[in-house]
Amino acid sequence: MELILWWMPPALAIAAAIVVLLQLRARRTRRADTAEPRPIAHSDRLTALPEYRSAMRRYRGLLAAVTAAAGILAIAAALLASRPAAVSVQQPELATRDIVLCLDVSGSMVEYDAELVRVFGELTEQFTGERIALVVFNASAVTYFPLTNDYEYVQEQFDTVTDQFTNGEDAYFDGTFFGEGSSLVGDGLAACSLRFDAPDDDRSRSIILATDNLVVGDPIFTLTEAGQVAADRGIHVYGVNPGDTASRDYVEELAREFRTVVDATGGAYYSLDEPDAIESIVASITSEQATIVTGSPRLQLADQPAVPLAIAFFGLAGLMVLAWRVQR
Amino acid sequence: MTTLLRTVSTRLSIHAHRRVRGALEGEYTSVFHGRSTEFDDLRPYVPGDELKDIDWKATARVGAPMTRRYIASRKHTVMLVTDTGRGMAAIAAGGESKRDIGIAAAGTLAYLATRHGDLVGLVTGDADHTDYRRPESTDAHLERILQLMHHRTTLDSGASDLTRQLRYVARSFRRRMILLVIADDRPLGDAETALLRRLSVQHEVLWLTVGDADPMREEWERDRVYDVADGAALPPYLRSDPRLRAAFTAATADRSDNATRALDSLGISSQRIERTADVMPALFRLLEVHKHARR
Repeated sequence: MELILWWMPPALAIAAAIVVLLQLRARRTRRADTAEPRPIAHSDRLTALPEYRSAMRRYRGLLAAVTAAAGILAIAAALLASRPAAVSVQQPELATRDIVLCLDVSGSMVEYDAELVRVFGELTEQFTGERIALVVFNASAVTYFPLTNDYEYVQEQFDTVTDQFTNGEDAYFDGTFFGEGSSLVGDGLAACSLRFDAPDDDRSRSIILATDNLVVGDPIFTLTEAGQVAADRGIHVYGVNPGDTASRDYVEELAREFRTVVDATGGAYYSLDEPDAIESIVASITSEQATIVTGSPRLQLADQPAVPLAIAFFGLAGLMVLAWRVQR
Repeated sequence: MTTLLRTVSTRLSIHAHRRVRGALEGEYTSVFHGRSTEFDDLRPYVPGDELKDIDWKATARVGAPMTRRYIASRKHTVMLVTDTGRGMAAIAAGGESKRDIGIAAAGTLAYLATRHGDLVGLVTGDADHTDYRRPESTDAHLERILQLMHHRTTLDSGASDLTRQLRYVARSFRRRMILLVIADDRPLGDAETALLRRLSVQHEVLWLTVGDADPMREEWERDRVYDVADGAALPPYLRSDPRLRAAFTAATADRSDNATRALDSLGISSQRIERTADVMPALFRLLEVHKHARR
């Protein structure tokens, strides 16, 4: 618990002291004209009575209660005026991520794509402010949906695309064949790099690029050039390569190129045999991102007026009732 | 200057047609002059005159009751014993200043006395000092002593302690006098009772109590009621307490009963007044009671 306006209590105390002093000074002169003075003699006729003493005790009790209520009210009000707030240390990390899922939808990759979409679908449920986009590419890239934090919509799209992946319906690769060849990874990565809007915002940008890097045809961007485009935009590229296995060493050269490009953007490279391994890969990507995007911790202040407000209310209520009793 | 004495004499003449003035004079005469032996003259009877002073032959001759007047064998001395402490500057039960009521009472008796050629002196003061004005019978003298009472009695005066003035009287005077003590609702202590017993043997003591104001008056609810003795205010919360009110009413009645009884047992005639209008009837009753008590 912290006070946002920490200088308020002493300032109020000083102000109160000044007001009290002025009141005391004004009182001497004011008293004469408001309340008519009635000098009487032998008030011991009254004050010597036992009933007077018990009435005096009651009066003192009431005055003490009034003072207490006024004090509580004053303290609670001063507390309210100084804005009590709960302090929490916020790491400006994962919540500011922008993630573009950049999936190669050539025939050999569909199985892995489906798994990636499933894992991110689960991950989305924990997202608080992260934005995610889905781009599929083959010969050309198609934005399945742009960067958004409308998780309901994202979930809906993930479900649709998963259906399409598993049923083998062709809708998911609609529009991905405009180009020379297939699996034009360089073009795909370059296209994904351009999907980040708001380039001036202080957000972390990453691309999950799933491809086996088996390029057929003539791309506009080579993978290396596309990696440079991503790096220029401060985008970390995380590569997931199902083709990079010992059993298929004919792709070793391609895999090495892929790894080099990805490492150059500050991302990481993962090779895998089984689609099941994707879950652990995504987890490691997430944790790696956490270490990268962790900025300086930020203090988050949230006003907490409820308790002093309740106390002030009861203080005021008590004061009014007691003051009425005294006045009566 | 509007004189205090003129105020007193004016009040007496206003009351003349009510026969109160005449009655009061008659009372004064019969109480203090009736016993003289040297015949002076005749005057019409006024209520209050001793019946035995009526000259029946003259009455038959004139056709109206005539009273014989006697030359006083010697001049009486009326000593006013009053209080100029701040207690006397407080408010009386009737709402006026106790001081003004005291002055009206002192002035009235003093005026009557000087009309009969008697001398009027004054012993006054507060807890700190006592003032004495030797007895004289001129109007100027009366005015001076009334003015003295008027100016000395303020809220800034010393504390009230009439016992001091009574002690002064007991110590200072050898001759027999008529004492008019103007007191207030103060309790009579043992020392004072002893003092009064001693004084009532030597002097004729008339006791007038100026009743003190009720601090619990409802119309004062919004006012600042305070005791002149120490300046301590009585909180409005306490003044409006009904239980306290009942207890106070009972205690006040008790207190004034006790005071009357104590004075009665000393053979001192006393009356309690609450306002200026009470002064003449109260003096009349006081003299009346005193006349019978003396027998």
